[in-house]
Amino acid sequence: MNGSFLGIDLGSSYTKFIVIDEGAIIVDAEVIPTLSRRREVLDKAMSGILSRFNIQCICATGYGRRNVQADLHKTELICAAAGVSVTHKMHKSILDIGGEDIKIIESDANGSVVDFYMNNKCSAGTGTFITEIADRAELDIAEMSTLASKSKSDRTINSFCTVFAKSEILGWKFGGVPIEDIARGIYLAVVDRVHKLPLKKGMPLFLCGGVIAHHPFLAGLLAERLQADIRVVEQPQYAVALGAARLAQEEMMSAKPVRESPWITRKLSKT
Amino acid sequence: MSRLRSQDKLKSILKDYFVCLSSPLAWCTSVGPAEILRALGFNVYFPENHGALLGASRTAGKYIPRAHQAGYDDEICSYLTADIGAYLMGETPLSQAYGLPSIPRPDLIVFNTNQCREVAEWFGFFGREFGCPVVGIMPPRHITEVSQADIDNVVGQFEKAIKIGGEIMGRPLDYGRLKETVALSKQGAVLWREVLETARKAPSPLTFWDGTILMAPIVMLRGTQVCVDFYQEMLDELRQLMNAKQAAVPDEQVRLFWEGMPIWGRLRALSDLFAENHAAVVASTYCNSWVFDCFNPEDPLRSMAEAYTRVFINRSEDAKLGILRELLDNYHIDGIVFHDSKTCFNNTNSRFNLPGRLQKATGVPSLTIDGDLNDLRFFSEGQVRTKIETFVELLKTLKQ
Ligand code: SF4
Repeated sequence: MNGSFLGIDLGSSYTKFIVIDEGAIIVDAEVIPTLSRRREVLDKAMSGILSRFNIQCICATGYGRRNVQADLHKTELICAAAGVSVTHKMHKSILDIGGEDIKIIESDANGSVVDFYMNNKCSAGTGTFITEIADRAELDIAEMSTLASKSKSDRTINSFCTVFAKSEILGWKFGGVPIEDIARGIYLAVVDRVHKLPLKKGMPLFLCGGVIAHHPFLAGLLAERLQADIRVVEQPQYAVALGAARLAQEEMMSAKPVRESPWITRKLSKT
Repeated sequence: MSRLRSQDKLKSILKDYFVCLSSPLAWCTSVGPAEILRALGFNVYFPENHGALLGASRTAGKYIPRAHQAGYDDEICSYLTADIGAYLMGETPLSQAYGLPSIPRPDLIVFNTNQCREVAEWFGFFGREFGCPVVGIMPPRHITEVSQADIDNVVGQFEKAIKIGGEIMGRPLDYGRLKETVALSKQGAVLWREVLETARKAPSPLTFWDGTILMAPIVMLRGTQVCVDFYQEMLDELRQLMNAKQAAVPDEQVRLFWEGMPIWGRLRALSDLFAENHAAVVASTYCNSWVFDCFNPEDPLRSMAEAYTRVFINRSEDAKLGILRELLDNYHIDGIVFHDSKTCFNNTNSRFNLPGRLQKATGVPSLTIDGDLNDLRFFSEGQVRTKIETFVELLKTLKQ
């Protein structure tokens, strides 16, 4: 069995697993909810992967990265840069809209972070913001993009604060604003938020993260409003886990990693 | 035993200091005219140190809500809210540490708004509580350079404080004693600078995290022989470490500058986080704020007025840019971390694009992290860790 490399992205909402082979080709992709309180779900996914592949090195990333034992722990920004650079070898910006924050990463062609910006003060414009407001507006997340695409409205939510935005949406509902306009209004609020971030001009902007994966309409709206060269990466929700897998592979190629985890070693010895 | 002998020595010095805090006693801000109070014969107590103690002992979180109940907003200085809250609850960490029944009662309170106006409200609260005189020194704020007129202005205010202090003590100020006190402050400040400057050499024997603890004497015992002796010994110790090439952070790979307030309740965690990533935080505006170059025992009042009006926090953005440029250069800094401290607007320098201008002027990358000096509700461990680890990795890439 040839060697493979595992990247685990423990995000605030979902945990993503990517396995790549020695040619950096994805051979497995899995996702489980992070907030499943049962540790066994994570363990089961892990042991499943470890029994099916000859994993040589593991890199964990995401907010929860310290909660799993791995050979490497890297931040999700470093992994996003590495992940997007697997197929896009150029100087670029990356916009990662996640469950609880928005990040902008400037990456060189090799996938190293050369600058970044991360807003952490509130959830405005993040996945949580969209989910909570959509919930208040009785909108089905899965249908939001389709609905928004039917609207031409310019009405947007003024408040960045999720709590205030929720009461604002209530006003829209009572005022009889069509559901399509509400869906578009929520996306416009996200775009507004992104617009205020320090985005550098003159390089393509790649979108990744779970929010882009679930809300395809957002990419078009961002391109229209930001007037930027916007591209969505393949399988945006896995970009960070892919970067982690890639860094695991690089680590293995540069030096033999020291295994931190007896648990992983034990599982490995069974394969 | 601590990593530095000086840390153990500090414990005994602080014990001696706190148990002697009896009347006649004056309260003073940390960059206030402590020399005048000492020369008048007062023991001097520093509420900001108490605030930091509440933060470092992680009891601030228990006391801050009590101050909110009393009408103090949750976005104002969390030294103030922690300190007032602790007072209202009748508690102090000084009891457990030094056996003090309560914070020491003042006969006089003196503050200097060179740092912020919050101290006026904070010290004013205690003036009303204890019914003692409160004297405010209010120098011109946010200046680029200190003019002679500014110095005249502040000297005039010092003289008012001297008069009130003299009345309380029942004797006028002995100017000979003031000169001696300023001479000791000068010696202490020079030694403190030399101590900090040991970190200019890579690998550094000292970090900002050590500094936040070891700075206590230059704040609280400035103008005493104890302070001078302490820093002389500490300097000797650090020089030995330098000769032996003993680094504070093993395998120092990047050198960082910390701008803004410490996060008192997370000193250890942050120190470990940087060390794990082989990043040494070797200098800071905070520790350097007690390097006073202009004390002159022959002209005590004017030189004090200048020293305390020149402090970093009281300067314009242009002056701050110049000071930071020099520090980044002197300490061979690879990156600067700005702490945006939610409740200390005055000592947060990231909000008017100083990081951007500094990076343009020096090429040194910067990172801003959100947090607070005492109120840990404004601090997110996970996000700060992610930012710092990414930043350090970025700096390592840039250095290659
Ligand atoms: S400078 Fe900041 S921390 Fe210090 S007293 Fe003023 S507001 Fe509080």
